[in-house]
Amino acid sequence: MLYALMGLGLALITGVLNIPNFAHGALFAVGAYLLASTANLIGNFWLALVVAPLGAALLGLAIEYLGIRRLYAAGHDYQLLFTFGLALILSEAIILVWGPVGYSHLPPPVLRGGVDLGFTFYPKYRLFVMVAAGLLVLATWLFLEKTRYGAIMRAGIENKEMVSLLGIDIHKLFTAAFALGAYLAGIAGALTAPIRGLSPGMGVDMLGIAFVVVALGGLGNLLGAIAAGLLIGVAQAVVAAHWTEASSVVIYAVMAAVLLVRPQGLFGIR
Amino acid sequence: MGKLKRRDVLKIGALAATGLGFPAILRAQSREIVILGLWDQTGAFSDVGPLNDRGMRMALEERDMKVLGRSIRYITRDGATQAGASTRRAEEAVDGEGARFIVGPWSSGVALAVSEVAKRKKVVHLFSGGTEDISGARCHRYSFQWAASPYTAAKTVVDNFMKANPKAKRWHLLVADYAFGWSVEKYVKEVGKTHGIEFVGADRHPLGEREFSNYVQKAAANKPDAVAMINFGGDAVAGAREIFNFGLTPRLPLIMSWSSGVEELVQLAPEIRDNLWVGTNFYYTVDTPAAKNFVKNYQAQFKLPPGYAPSAAYSMTHMLLAGFDKAKSDDVQAVVKALEGLEMNDIVGPMRVDGATHQTLRPYFLLRCKPKGAMKHELDFGDVVATGDAPLPKEYAACKDIGPF
Amino acid sequence: MSRALIAILAAIVVLPLVVRPAIASEIWIFAIFGLGLNLLLGYTGLLSFGQSTFFGSAAYVAGWLLKHYAINVFLALGIGVAVGAASAALVGYLCVQRSGLYFIMLTFALNQLFYFIAYQWTGVTGGEDGMPGIPRPDFLGIDFGEPLPYYAFVSALFLLSLWIMKRIVESPLGKILQAIRENEVRAEALGYDTARFKLAAFVIGGAFSGLAGVLYAMLFGIVPLEAIGFVTSGNVVFATLIGGSGSLYGPVIGSFVFIWLSESVSTLWARWPLLLGVAFVIVVLFFRGGVVEAWARFSAWRERKWRSSRQTG
Repeated sequence: MLYALMGLGLALITGVLNIPNFAHGALFAVGAYLLASTANLIGNFWLALVVAPLGAALLGLAIEYLGIRRLYAAGHDYQLLFTFGLALILSEAIILVWGPVGYSHLPPPVLRGGVDLGFTFYPKYRLFVMVAAGLLVLATWLFLEKTRYGAIMRAGIENKEMVSLLGIDIHKLFTAAFALGAYLAGIAGALTAPIRGLSPGMGVDMLGIAFVVVALGGLGNLLGAIAAGLLIGVAQAVVAAHWTEASSVVIYAVMAAVLLVRPQGLFGIR
Repeated sequence: MGKLKRRDVLKIGALAATGLGFPAILRAQSREIVILGLWDQTGAFSDVGPLNDRGMRMALEERDMKVLGRSIRYITRDGATQAGASTRRAEEAVDGEGARFIVGPWSSGVALAVSEVAKRKKVVHLFSGGTEDISGARCHRYSFQWAASPYTAAKTVVDNFMKANPKAKRWHLLVADYAFGWSVEKYVKEVGKTHGIEFVGADRHPLGEREFSNYVQKAAANKPDAVAMINFGGDAVAGAREIFNFGLTPRLPLIMSWSSGVEELVQLAPEIRDNLWVGTNFYYTVDTPAAKNFVKNYQAQFKLPPGYAPSAAYSMTHMLLAGFDKAKSDDVQAVVKALEGLEMNDIVGPMRVDGATHQTLRPYFLLRCKPKGAMKHELDFGDVVATGDAPLPKEYAACKDIGPF
Repeated sequence: MSRALIAILAAIVVLPLVVRPAIASEIWIFAIFGLGLNLLLGYTGLLSFGQSTFFGSAAYVAGWLLKHYAINVFLALGIGVAVGAASAALVGYLCVQRSGLYFIMLTFALNQLFYFIAYQWTGVTGGEDGMPGIPRPDFLGIDFGEPLPYYAFVSALFLLSLWIMKRIVESPLGKILQAIRENEVRAEALGYDTARFKLAAFVIGGAFSGLAGVLYAMLFGIVPLEAIGFVTSGNVVFATLIGGSGSLYGPVIGSFVFIWLSESVSTLWARWPLLLGVAFVIVVLFFRGGVVEAWARFSAWRERKWRSSRQTG
């Protein structure tokens, strides 16, 4: 479900803005670090869970407004160079602020330990994350599907000229989409912090996965990204159970296979 | 040709000489001994490199940067935790700076690559990693292994853990999938047999794995009495955290068989460390005079007690300096010969370098972590509960011939 | 002789006086690698994020043969070129039908698959530990084991590569590739089988990558696992963009800047990737054409200043 959340954020950015956002993993890491720091500072995990992703969203807002805005006409190569440069800056900044050594952040006491589900034993916190991520995905989906702003964003994916012809400020739309994508990355990071701990390189793994999810789901296909996120999570678990060494590569194999057979992604329409 | 021009030509000539690899000769005249510390400032072990550097500097500064009455020039390079960058920078330091003594780098895989450089360039190389290859199948005359043999480690950990937990006969192993993991796994199983341990599962995970839930789920399904991890650094931290999240620890004991100690433990919360058993090459409460002295000085300088990284670098540097002293020379071959069979009492206790394999025969430690309430300060992680120094039995030694110079 | 060529020749001579021969050699090797990528990126408009597939495959195959069969240097290079071209033909065949972000991601995914094979096939590649012990055989009595003769050898091969690449981009093939970059639909309408031409660009680029891969393996005596990793793929793309992908010499300058700076800055400050990131951002925001364009703008500015000073003076 976390993969779906991460992928959805990136799908939104790639879909609306049509840029490969290599800084998505770094935004994920920022969300995680902000959660740990605010939770330690104010002593309340739940409040920190609200605050941290907002920080990531603000950062996203600034990035779009100051940099990415000037790159829409440039080729993918420069967009890639720019976002990769940002990723380097952000992860080095994390080292400068929080230090190079990673640390753990425990789940809140109510969610520690595991429950016996009968067929398997599962940590409570992971169950919570599943439910929370599921609700977030649902909420984002409803926002995009049922609200006026969501409709504009979806229209932005389909046809940018039309949107601007309707008198909507396309720049504001782009900024909002990037900030929302950054928010989703940030909250995914915040939710992950108690599971995977904090380390400066934590965004890199997630970035690869997010791109796979987007490619599988089909560029610009938000529902596809959600489905692909779930699919990848399941595929990884199944492979890990039978051929552990391959669990990290299976996602790329699936991605290559899908791109070869169905270039528009599993659920792509374009 | 005017005067100015001639001088320029001379200058270019001197520069050219630098490029041609003459500086080794020029430097030799200045009687400096150049030692390279190859430590990772970027990449997977970026957090370790600065600490290695501290330890090495301390050992050199204790001697006022002098040995054999000559001054030591200590240079350091970023190994980037990559075989390519490390070999490149090692080679550059040998060719360009005249370094003939290399200490590091941290990762055993990368050290293996640097060991090839040492062999080709005929320079002395000391390193600490867990691979068995450098004192085993790929042994040669120039590289020395400071860390304990994987056999010593496995024997110390399994024997003493079983002494404390005689009923824990069902083990599940989590092994990092590379040379180091395989060798320790082999010996853990070997020693385990003598205790009648049943290995109910053994999963290998790729290096740099961060998603351990699938492995842990499998481990839990096997219903073991104990889980033992054979991995290092970030992998060990991520694994221990997940095992805690799944509620296996503290219900079951978790063994980290080859841990860096402080560096890894500090990344885990006290709750995660409950019922954690840690095999390590050094821990700062080790009871030896050299360790006491080192820990005191280190704390005076950096406030915190030293972890494994600075300690290993410190001790390796000691070993190299002892080699100079014994050889009474900085000639590479003389130092190699002096190191072979060298005996010294260092921070880990009595050490002897086996001349036939270049493996250091030395003690290894088992640590039991303390519960939160018993910790006296933030870095008071546990007590050394056992020490072991069983050397690798001859029949296992893969280094049949250390070879010529 | 053009001014660019004179500058490059001068750089070849001066470089080993300023930096260590190993780094100097690496700069030109990386430049060969960049030339191959730039045929795809700069001339055909295809952003391949998987060039290390060809670089690494060639290094492994030729390295293996050098190590176990002590083959001749030129045979090793030839095999590297062939392996690079063949692997590029395979990857290119699978990728050329895709475009935009899909193309980038597919090259990346295939790169990861090759990486995984190298990682798992430890019996041959050494996996994580790399494949060490690759010799630099002598040739005609020249001992390539010494840094400087090997540097001269690498430089000569670089010049040869540069000359070949110049011929390629100025040939009809080069023009067609540029037409594809500018407007693929129109190129197709003119009757060109664009997929086949793109594949040709892939194969040629792969051959250059393969050559660079073998030279790299011989330079350091090892094929590290990261030689086939995506970071290497990324580095060559970034170096080329920093230099300027629009020009033949862009990747050459880029490799120079990229390697020299990262080598010299990394010894000064451990957090040097931060500066690298800042450099990327500056290039993208202000010097979209890389160093080549920055230089062009600087000379234009100087010229204008010179003219205006003459007019007023």
